[in-house]
Amino acid sequence: MRRLIRGITQWDRRLSRLAIGAVALGFILIIAIEIIATSTILQNQAQMRWVNHTYQVERAISRYRGLSERLEAARRGLLLRDDRGFDNTFTRTSAQIGPALDDLQRLTADNPRQSANVAEAVRLSHQHVDTLTRSVAMVRNGQDGLAVRSFKIDESQPIIRRIRTIGERMMAEEDRLLAIRNAQQARSLAFFYGMLGFAGVLVVVLGIGTLWIIIRYTRDLTDSRDALRRLNSDLEGAVRERTTDLQRANDEIQRFAYIVSHDLRSPLVNVMGFTSELESAAKTLDAMMSRAEAQAPQVVDVEAQRALREDLPEALAFIRTSTEKMDRLINAILRLSREGRRSITPEKLDMDAVIQGIADVHRHRIAERDIDLSIASNLPDIVSDRLAIEQIFSNIVENAIKYMLPGRRGRIEIRGHIDGGRAIFEIADNGRGIDPRDHQRIFDLFRRSGMQDQAGEGIGLAHTRAIAYRLGGTISVESELARGATFRINLPVAFPGEQGALA
Amino acid sequence: MSDHHSVNIIMIEDDDGHARLIEKNIRRAGISNQIHHFSDGTSALQFLYEHPSGPAHNGPALILLDLNLPDMSGTDILTRFKAEESPLKRTPVIVLTTTDDKVEIQRCYELGCNVYITKPVNYESFAEAIRQLGLFLSVIQVPDLVRVDV
Repeated sequence: MRRLIRGITQWDRRLSRLAIGAVALGFILIIAIEIIATSTILQNQAQMRWVNHTYQVERAISRYRGLSERLEAARRGLLLRDDRGFDNTFTRTSAQIGPALDDLQRLTADNPRQSANVAEAVRLSHQHVDTLTRSVAMVRNGQDGLAVRSFKIDESQPIIRRIRTIGERMMAEEDRLLAIRNAQQARSLAFFYGMLGFAGVLVVVLGIGTLWIIIRYTRDLTDSRDALRRLNSDLEGAVRERTTDLQRANDEIQRFAYIVSHDLRSPLVNVMGFTSELESAAKTLDAMMSRAEAQAPQVVDVEAQRALREDLPEALAFIRTSTEKMDRLINAILRLSREGRRSITPEKLDMDAVIQGIADVHRHRIAERDIDLSIASNLPDIVSDRLAIEQIFSNIVENAIKYMLPGRRGRIEIRGHIDGGRAIFEIADNGRGIDPRDHQRIFDLFRRSGMQDQAGEGIGLAHTRAIAYRLGGTISVESELARGATFRINLPVAFPGEQGALA
Repeated sequence: MSDHHSVNIIMIEDDDGHARLIEKNIRRAGISNQIHHFSDGTSALQFLYEHPSGPAHNGPALILLDLNLPDMSGTDILTRFKAEESPLKRTPVIVLTTTDDKVEIQRCYELGCNVYITKPVNYESFAEAIRQLGLFLSVIQVPDLVRVDV
């Protein structure tokens, strides 16, 4: 599973690096395109200005040409018909020609070729205006005939023709410039559209790419999540299976213990029963032997006497103690199996009261042996099975009372504290202690430690540990020979529910 | 002393040793009724229901039943005895067994057993239990029992 996660992480990193790189590159490209487009637009605007400029110039040229033609027409009109209207037109137009030429000059200052043309036009217009003004002045002075004659010979005709030519040349020049500028504008516009198109394609490609990465990333994520979930449920299943197996094994052991202890009892009943029968038979024989000793001592054989009076009672006594012991062992197994089948009913336990109750039960023996028992106040309360807890503590306290060191005043101390979610109780005594080699052994069934001077079958601690395990707890011991022992009972503050429910 | 009027003791016990010890102690308690011993459930049922001198056809009886039998469970036999239509419904049944499990005892009483005696390994208590049984036999008001005794 760890390898899978590492694999996912590696792929994840590579993918996200790739995705970030692609997105960053896309954005950089888009920004570049935007800069280029902006500069293209600016360039285009400049070009537009130039095109406008050309139109302005063309307009100015047209105006100039118009004015020149109108001047000519006004003079001719005046010659043909002495009309004040023509005179006014002439005066106004001749005044306008100068500013029109100034405009043109200013507008074409950038173009030397046009400047030269304009200079020529200025020179021609001066001549033209001078000539016409002289002619008009004649009309005004009433010299109409002179004016007509001079019209026929003066320079005005060739001048106006040249003015027309120069006007056309200037127009041609501006048309040429216009064509060039229009072409430039069209090119930059085409470039702009090209960039726009490229940017559009790029955005689409970037979008598709990003989408692909996201879809792929999401799918991988979903896949790995599914895989994890599958693994997880497999694990749960495995744990469940294991728990069921353990439960089954435990149930099997319980049943086995129950059946074995029962079936072992049956023959034991016979052994005990017929031993008693033998005893009563031996008593009958013993009475007969006594009678024979009294009435006919000569028939009494020493060997028969010894067999009846020593060997037989000795054998019977051994059979009896052995069977009694066996009965106790069988009963212990039976009790253990029965305890395993008992259902646990958790309830809130006031441990001060529980321990005090246990102390009360043993008060008589404690007083008898002059033991100093001290119970710490405010023992941590727990939620657990009352009977089971009482059995555990009672057993340990009983052992402490039982295995005191002769010649030393006994002391037993019971204390407790909370550590995390666990309640830890300690029962410390100053008794004879337990050899460290036996610290595990004493919790095994039928195993005892130290001098075998106290009654017992080696069941208590095995039983106590079995109960502690069932309650989700543990029990351990710290001890040295002749230095006393401290039993530590570690229990959950609240009974967590049976892990392997028993039959 | 007509045979069909005496109370027969039917002992269903697979362990011959136990059967012998029970019989010895019954005799010591001063009870001399005939004891029929069966070591399996099938033959015991055969006798109880089919035999002409069995209690289904003839005369009063007392059943001593062990729960641990080789061929069938003692509680099944007890269920059959105490069923509504059974001819042995009124026959006293004493369960005499090694099992001292409270649930099992409870179950036997629920099924209709009259007395439940646990075979103690301690022989003195065992003999005492049988003496109690003898006392019980004289108390259950079987008129023939007294006549047989006398």
